[in-house]
Amino acid sequence: MSEPSFSTSRRRLLGGATALGAGLAMPAILRAQEPAKPAELIVRAWGGVWVDSLKKGVSDPFTAKTGIAIRHDLTEDNEIKPRIWAAVAQGRTPPIHVNWDTTANATSSALRGVCEDLSDLPNLAKVLPLAKPIGLTGVPIVNLYSYVYVLANRPEAFPGGPPTSWNVLLEPRFKGRIALYNDGIGFHPVAQVVGGGKVSDIPGNMEACWAFIRKLKEQKPLLGEDPDFTNWFQKGEIDVACTISSNAREAKAKGVNVAWTVPKEGAKVDTDGMWIPKGLPANELYWAKRYIDFALSTEAQQVWLDGLGLPGVAPGLKPPADLVGDPSYPTSEKDYERLILIAPKIQAEHTAEWFARFKEIMQS
Amino acid sequence: MAIRGGRPAARAGRPPATAYRLSWRILDALEAVAARWPARAEGAVKWLLLAPALAVVGLLVFGLVVMADASLRVMDFRTYQLGEDYSTANYVRLFGWGAFHATLWRSLVATLLVTLFCLLLAFPYAYALTRTASARLRRVLLVGLFLPFFVGQVVRAYGWLVILGQQGLVNQALGLVGLGPYRLLFSYPTVLFGLVQYMLPFAVLMLAPALAAIPEEIERAAASCGASRGRTLLRVVLPMARPGLIAAALVVATLTLTDFAMPAILGGGTNDFLANLVHDQFFRTSNAGLGSAIALVLTLLGTTVAGLLLAAAGVGALGLRGAR
Amino acid sequence: MRQLPLAGGVALALLLLLAAPSLVVAGASLTAGGIVQFPPEGLSLRWYGRVLEAREVRDAFLRSLEVATVCTALAVPSGTLAAIALARWRFRAALAIQLYLLLPFTVPLIGSGIGLMLLFGELGLLGRVWPVGIACCVINLPFMIWAVAASVNALDPELERAAASCGAGPVQTFLLVTLPAVAPGILAGALVMFVLALNEFLVSLLLVDARTVTLPVQIYTQIRAVITPDLAAVSTVYVLVAAAAVLLLDRLVGLEIFLRSR
Repeated sequence: MSEPSFSTSRRRLLGGATALGAGLAMPAILRAQEPAKPAELIVRAWGGVWVDSLKKGVSDPFTAKTGIAIRHDLTEDNEIKPRIWAAVAQGRTPPIHVNWDTTANATSSALRGVCEDLSDLPNLAKVLPLAKPIGLTGVPIVNLYSYVYVLANRPEAFPGGPPTSWNVLLEPRFKGRIALYNDGIGFHPVAQVVGGGKVSDIPGNMEACWAFIRKLKEQKPLLGEDPDFTNWFQKGEIDVACTISSNAREAKAKGVNVAWTVPKEGAKVDTDGMWIPKGLPANELYWAKRYIDFALSTEAQQVWLDGLGLPGVAPGLKPPADLVGDPSYPTSEKDYERLILIAPKIQAEHTAEWFARFKEIMQS
Repeated sequence: MAIRGGRPAARAGRPPATAYRLSWRILDALEAVAARWPARAEGAVKWLLLAPALAVVGLLVFGLVVMADASLRVMDFRTYQLGEDYSTANYVRLFGWGAFHATLWRSLVATLLVTLFCLLLAFPYAYALTRTASARLRRVLLVGLFLPFFVGQVVRAYGWLVILGQQGLVNQALGLVGLGPYRLLFSYPTVLFGLVQYMLPFAVLMLAPALAAIPEEIERAAASCGASRGRTLLRVVLPMARPGLIAAALVVATLTLTDFAMPAILGGGTNDFLANLVHDQFFRTSNAGLGSAIALVLTLLGTTVAGLLLAAAGVGALGLRGAR
Repeated sequence: MRQLPLAGGVALALLLLLAAPSLVVAGASLTAGGIVQFPPEGLSLRWYGRVLEAREVRDAFLRSLEVATVCTALAVPSGTLAAIALARWRFRAALAIQLYLLLPFTVPLIGSGIGLMLLFGELGLLGRVWPVGIACCVINLPFMIWAVAASVNALDPELERAAASCGAGPVQTFLLVTLPAVAPGILAGALVMFVLALNEFLVSLLLVDARTVTLPVQIYTQIRAVITPDLAAVSTVYVLVAAAAVLLLDRLVGLEIFLRSR
């Protein structure tokens, strides 16, 4: 690390000064040595409600505080990845400064060694331990919030009350009217449980999971990505889906009648994070770190994550009014007990294998 | 002079003497340079003309070499780096993978069907376009042919989502007569339909010049000799249109085989083609080794299909037969 | 001739099929509501107002024009010369050459995109707009070659021989007889190359960055996030610009030029 203001001793100093407040409240002496500000930083983001809330909660306030403009790059997370990897391999400046990414996807970049270490971010000391990824050296990724893959449904299709088990996906009346992610992500641990297997057998023995997914294939599911779920609910294409709660909430915000539950078998919980690719000029790296540090602050997370309806890692966040007590917005230890967390490293190491199995079932 | 007579009339408005003299002088200089070209190197001229195109396509060869190298290395998912050692493991895995077989078969069947439908539909369109006496109809057909090129594949696929959805136009219309709603989207036939609609302008564009080159007198002659409509079409027009038909088939077949967007948008996730598999390997699972292997198999497949078409029709079928 | 009524009927039906998705998108862009649907929910031009205000859209469109211009500028000479060479001279490895020149269609676009990204990255060309034009030329070059080849074949070689026997040198014959005769093919090819480059998204996606994004990439990345009526409006503006260009071309040279064989 060549950044003078991020040396270990100073970080300790800052760590002791947590009471100073959130965000960019850095001691004046450090601000005096700030490296030159770039005109803008490029932050990769997902479109729609995702980028809108990021802009409102993080980017715009960051610009107001620092004068650095933020440009959002809406390239998909997995489409930016090979571009960053190629840039690092060829010794070029990467195409973005900050990558907002799923932790599992980011972990593959961390394992490849293309991420800058973020262990010296001042706010890291104040947030939930969840913010630091497990099983990786240093802090190549900072986790910012968690989200749950819920069972989203149209209440009209369930006159007898909301579904309580993932088994409803197999009901004949929903043939052709169910949806999953097109790589099966978010569904494997649930399928393992519903199929009669044990979570602790992942990744060693997942036959229960594959058997359940084979049965699901008979139901002719639609396979898509985040925006598809919102669209499909909106256009009446599906009745039930396994998707991130934000997509269901977004459809609801657009006036579509959608509800969601965490069934009795539990649901998968995951995190999203941010990371910085290697190869940036020193001053841009410094300001990219400041951006992520700000994204960790309570001030930024309160606004940003209200938009997404997701529980952040900063201390003292208030859940949005419509999500108080909602199982997709876990806050207490008890809430988390119903959720299944698979370590990102295990996910990253087995993504390709699980993907191959899932595709084999779904494409044949 | 025959040469001057061949000039476009528009140039006649230029100031006469000096301009011509200058242009003649430049031409003379060029001729002088050309005259120095050694006679025995005459054969090099054709290669010189071909060289720029060979170089442009050559930019792809770099990628093919990189992919060939990557396809022979195995991805280590603990470090997400390709291994140092060469092996055929990726290809072995590929041919033992059910998803590969399914998508391979699906892509090939689509290639065959889409090509057939496109030729069947493009022929009457191109025929009407080149034979109609009405200038207005011809103009409408031409504009209708060129405009879709401007509307990219993504937007067009999106239009179909709006038309064919559960609450789309077609289902609304069916609802009026008490039918449906039906699932019209997200199936193999939908993907094929979207592809035919997308490829049709390409096919017409390839076919039209060939039909235009067939003198109408020949058709009339066949008719006056007593040939029926069908016979004239089958025995006279179709054989003479062969270069255009082959060109159209080549374009549609190779582009369909490697298509990505239509299966991705209209397929609902369960109707992938090989290119979608390549996309998944490069982007989703970051397995550049397996992705390269699929991409190369796909390239080989496309080249084989094109080679078979060309071989069946004769290398000269496209008109690229070489007169000298 | 007698087949014409049938063919004309089929052609008109196909015309509808070709136009349907664009018409629906155009119709949906006029909605007063917040979601894309057809028929639209009330009529309004508000989404157009938003598009015209958006500077990124204008900038992206200008970049797309640059890409299309570079692509066409490279495609016209390279494609024309190749077509003339292939149509006029006999090559021993004709089949191999044709299959080689067909690589842009047989290599999946994602493979081409990754390869060009690595090549341009190696050469330090990424982050600029014009290399995207070169990439678009690479992946569509067969169209240019075939468009010109169709015209070269329709050109009677006797005409060139006549020029030569009247004393014209090879350069004169080429410039004053061959080129004007194949001009319709060149024009058709150039138009197709220009338009395809204007619309290319998959390869461009790998070659542009947030500062050099082209319009199709912008549309593509957003359409996958949320499809709002302003994207339908952008597409419609695109179609209108296209229609204007096609009509202008029709006025200037007549679209029939694409059908003329000699």
